[in-house]
Amino acid sequence: MSDEQASLEGWDPGALDTARLAEVIEHAFDYRGDVTLVLDDGRQVEGYLFNRNRDVAEPFVQVYERTQSGASSIPYARIRAVRFTGKDTAAGNSYAAWRERRQAKAASEH
Amino acid sequence: MSVPISQMWTVASYVLGQKLRGRKRYPLVLMLEPLFRCNLACAGCGKIQYPAHILKKNLSVEQCIAAVEECGAPMVSIPGGEPLMYPDIGRLVKELVARRKYVYLCTNAILLKERLQQGVFTPSKYLSFSVHMDGLREEHDEAVCREGIFDQAVEGIREALARGFRVTTNSTLFDGVNPVRMQIFFDEMMDLGVEGMMLSPGYSYSKAPDQEHFLRRQKTNEIFTKMLSNPKRRWKFNQSPLFLQFLMGKWDFECTPWGMPAYNIFGWQRPCYLLQEGYAASFKELMEATRWEQYGHKSGNEKCKDCMVHCGYEATAVDATFASWKGLSAAARATLTGKL
Repeated sequence: MSDEQASLEGWDPGALDTARLAEVIEHAFDYRGDVTLVLDDGRQVEGYLFNRNRDVAEPFVQVYERTQSGASSIPYARIRAVRFTGKDTAAGNSYAAWRERRQAKAASEH
Repeated sequence: MSVPISQMWTVASYVLGQKLRGRKRYPLVLMLEPLFRCNLACAGCGKIQYPAHILKKNLSVEQCIAAVEECGAPMVSIPGGEPLMYPDIGRLVKELVARRKYVYLCTNAILLKERLQQGVFTPSKYLSFSVHMDGLREEHDEAVCREGIFDQAVEGIREALARGFRVTTNSTLFDGVNPVRMQIFFDEMMDLGVEGMMLSPGYSYSKAPDQEHFLRRQKTNEIFTKMLSNPKRRWKFNQSPLFLQFLMGKWDFECTPWGMPAYNIFGWQRPCYLLQEGYAASFKELMEATRWEQYGHKSGNEKCKDCMVHCGYEATAVDATFASWKGLSAAARATLTGKL
């Protein structure tokens, strides 16, 4: 990912080795949208990755899947790919848009 | 200062008890977020940017109570999200009051009048509505990115006061704030009849829509000094006087992020209410496994550099009050004279 990239939405880093996986999981943890995890058995898990822990014997991520009510834990060792498939809810500039609307309204009233 | 004596006594005896037990780290206020949904999208807020299926989730009342009991703090603040959108807010507050927890329900007050008319709450010395008010009408509506919200909040405050509830305000200050306009705001809130006001500089959330107006430390000191160096006797602040003095640059405190731990649908947020560096499954794990030395102003952590927010430093200020005669006498002097 380049520094210029404003949002990770749509990003697919491809196949991941162990070091790269940890790095991409950090991005996924910071990402305010759903991701899709591809597991070692081919299963795809789509949901919000809200936690990860590398400081344990078996590092894991925690995900709220879109279609499940509870959270699930998935070991790093089972993850083959991470795709940033959901909308980035922190992207965009709603404050600037609101200010522009407000200023336009004020201008039209004068 | 405007904190009732019974609450002051509860907090003082709790803090002294922790000190007598030799506890270096203890919680003072639990920040309990039962949901992230909100009916506003404020410019400086980084709390609500989640996918829809996350925003639909709620903690159960049982999960909330278990967290409160595990944490043991004498005060519980319920922010969010907007807690009045939480379907079980009445039952949650009733359960907390029954446990003699001092509850600050932090609300934008859009739904306050309606919920009060529905009879969701009963007045209690343990319950305060802490209404989000970022200044006078123009400033507040700008901060919450919607016109008319200031007037709705005032209406909610009037309704709550008329029904005998404790009401305080909480104001987050950003760069560009006009200290003189804030002083007029203090007068207006006192005229309304609120019990007290809470102030804090905003935190520079990386996910907030407006990234340009977060206060830096020196600017925070300047603004709070201009605003509070000659306070009117009638202004009541529902917070530690030492914290306000810290914002004015009179104290050099260090952050105590464990003082106001946060619990939400993801677990115990590490290390604090503002920074999201991970989640612990239990309060015990949060306290024991978090690398606290990596956080705070002196740690060199870039994310903590400019932070002077209440959830990191108000607990420090309260601790400092009971840590030395200097702290105790400064707090007593400010409380008795109203001077900061």
